[in-house]
Amino acid sequence: MQATVERTDRATISDIIVVDADIHINDTPAALAPYCEEPWRKSLEILAETPSRYLDIPGFSPTLKLDPPIPGGHANRSVHTPAEMRAELTAIGVDIGVLFPDNLLLFAPLPNIEYAVALSHAYNRWLTAEWLDEEGLYGALLACPQDPVDSAREIERYAANDKVVAVYLPTAGVNPLWGHRTYDPIFAAAEAADLPVLLHSVTLVSPAFPCQLDQFENHFGRQMLSHSFAMMANLTSLIHTGVPARFPKLRVGFTEAGIAWVPYMMWRMDKYYQEYRRMIPFLEKRPSEYMKERMWFATQPIEEPDDPKDLVRMIDMIGADRVLFASDWPHHDFDHPRALLKLPMPIETKRKIMGENALELFGIPKPVGKIAGVA
Amino acid sequence: MPEHVVGPVAEFPPGSQRLVRLGRIEVGVFNVDGVFYALPNVCPHQFGPLCEGGVTGATACSAATGWKFAWEREGEVVTCPWHGVEFDITTGRSLVAPDRLKVRTYPVVVEDGQVKVRL
Repeated sequence: MQATVERTDRATISDIIVVDADIHINDTPAALAPYCEEPWRKSLEILAETPSRYLDIPGFSPTLKLDPPIPGGHANRSVHTPAEMRAELTAIGVDIGVLFPDNLLLFAPLPNIEYAVALSHAYNRWLTAEWLDEEGLYGALLACPQDPVDSAREIERYAANDKVVAVYLPTAGVNPLWGHRTYDPIFAAAEAADLPVLLHSVTLVSPAFPCQLDQFENHFGRQMLSHSFAMMANLTSLIHTGVPARFPKLRVGFTEAGIAWVPYMMWRMDKYYQEYRRMIPFLEKRPSEYMKERMWFATQPIEEPDDPKDLVRMIDMIGADRVLFASDWPHHDFDHPRALLKLPMPIETKRKIMGENALELFGIPKPVGKIAGVA
Repeated sequence: MPEHVVGPVAEFPPGSQRLVRLGRIEVGVFNVDGVFYALPNVCPHQFGPLCEGGVTGATACSAATGWKFAWEREGEVVTCPWHGVEFDITTGRSLVAPDRLKVRTYPVVVEDGQVKVRL
């Protein structure tokens, strides 16, 4: 039996196209400064002079690091050039990746609206100018929750760029949550441009949701909840103001929270929809039906139950058409494609999860063969 | 299809909602604007006494209402008193999952001044 599984793996990894819904590029103040409007370029130039810290730059990636350093652990990684990214993705067998920022994962809590707008413009210019010519690299535009009307114009500006395939919604510390009607222009623009929106969180201590993570004594506690609770809260927010009903073609993806929370939320929201429909009459069907129709869920950090069949069953509950492989490369908790490829699933299901679902969602042409070669 | 006389029509005025016992089952008889409906008094969700719930209209919100809240179907919706599931009295179908969560409806006729439910 074991031999059969291994033979299947070897037979498949060499010809399965792997599309990665979530990889990260290192967006330093120095890199973005040349692309930034004045006077905020000066702010970035000043920030560029300060020693760089991992996802912890005041005025750029504001977080609140509370832990004392403890020797041991593993190093943080970042990727600085498209060629470096291409080589590293090839090394782990990923053919195509959708790029997200590093530092600007912490974009939503930036309070200065004009600065945030300039920063979003700078990131999108930098992304499209420097990263997307490399084979297999595609971009997610940075949405600016601080100014949704400007952000909608930004989406229109890049809508015709074939290598821009999504809109990234910064989710950590966003206030109000993404279902608020103030963000309608972003959803309308994404829907009109036929670009899916992708929620992505990060661990931070913030007065906005997921608030009170300062109550945990260490990063383990905060990491447990920051991503998954952010996704659950923002999914609930989107449903409870009827975003999928009001934007009937909008497609929504959820990244970096694993997938085991998804069936729980489907069942829980359906149960309370039965009880509270009168408060949310814009829903024409149960929340789980909107999720199964137009929401996608990225695998990383994939759950690792003792019995892998439990995870396969979980994927079935969500629907194998709605699950996207993601590695989160190069971050500390990345998943290698083999973490999914080794699961006891039919080859057709693996092809969908590892690549076909993402190609369809992002409108990426199917490559004729492996870009990454044989992993 | 056994027919049960449940009372004189004067006891079921428009807007009324009455529980009647027919053999071993309990049935809710509703007069919605002069049209009679009868539903089993058992909610398919968790077996609550559906027909003892309040009769109201229901909220609606869609492109047709300009995405503003509207109030529709006044008098046509009964809400189970246990968990709040709303049912369309005229069809027996829940508003949340009309094809999946529903109750049967019994035919009601008025003959010789008497309301009759056919089980």
